[in-house]
Amino acid sequence: MNAAYEFVTGPLAWLAWGIFLLGSAYRLYSMYQLALKKDAPSVSFMDLGFSLRSIFNWLIPFNALGWRKSPVMTVTTFAFHLCLIAVPVFLVAHVTLWTEFFGISYATLPDNVADIMTLVVLAACLVFAGRRLTQKEVAYITTGKDWLALTIVTLPFLTGFLAYHQVFDYQVMIVAHIVAGEIMLAAIPFTRLSHMVFAAFTRAYMGSEFGGVRHARDW
Amino acid sequence: MKRTLPLLILAALTIVSALATVQAVMAQDAITKLAPEAFGTLTRPPAVFVHDKHNEKAKLEECVVCHHGGSDGKIDKSASTEGTPCVECHKVKPAGKATNLKRAYHKQCIDCHRAKGKGPLACGQCHKR
Repeated sequence: MNAAYEFVTGPLAWLAWGIFLLGSAYRLYSMYQLALKKDAPSVSFMDLGFSLRSIFNWLIPFNALGWRKSPVMTVTTFAFHLCLIAVPVFLVAHVTLWTEFFGISYATLPDNVADIMTLVVLAACLVFAGRRLTQKEVAYITTGKDWLALTIVTLPFLTGFLAYHQVFDYQVMIVAHIVAGEIMLAAIPFTRLSHMVFAAFTRAYMGSEFGGVRHARDW
Repeated sequence: MKRTLPLLILAALTIVSALATVQAVMAQDAITKLAPEAFGTLTRPPAVFVHDKHNEKAKLEECVVCHHGGSDGKIDKSASTEGTPCVECHKVKPAGKATNLKRAYHKQCIDCHRAKGKGPLACGQCHKR
């Protein structure tokens, strides 16, 4: 089992991070080229002020009309995204690995808090799945790609929770957890998860068009 | 009586030194996990470490392999420090760039396990619930 653990924390980790970082850079570049080709005029109305104004307003829960229209989704998605980023970045065990491998050390979340935040992520995944199944307008536009993205995100948290509590075979679970996390990293540029890379630009585009062309708010 | 007194003293000394040896051995035997008080409240369950069983399994005869000496961040593999608790040198929050206690334990155990290709590497293999 040591060989498997060394492989997933070594070469496979480098590969996953490589695909995530280079893939994201490539996707940003190719999307920019596509925008130039298909929507060249947008370049002229892109505006930093209107972009930041839109991003800022959409970052406040219930501030945008879109948030107020679906309160359950608003609470779920804010809680989900906050925990989704904070838990893996500030987890004691993860920071310990940064220290072991690279000598880097920074602030951490208490384990019991991270544990609850993990459950928040898992509960939110259930809400997202339920929404896709029961809400007609969402079900109508749901494809396999959406389920794939949701599964890819759920697995690292589920396996992480089980590994932390050492239920089932720990050694199998910890390797499964690491692989699940690496799949998620590598999948970010090439699946629906790419909104992690694109969201700010999508918002900036909308904000600029509404601010500079339509002279209206987009929130 | 003149003859028995030195004998008695000798016997007493033998018993005392035997007891001391037994106690020392028992102290090592008694180590089954690593949870120095210096850490205060522990984040994870203490690392499982049965001193004698580990060394038997790992065929470790020299204490210095783990109980190393050193200064200024350099390990000295020739200066044995057995009997000195790790925390004497490796403070939980050291001043400057000295290796802290948590990192010292992790490096000491995991680096060796990695080098030998044997022994636990992942968190929960030592920090068992």
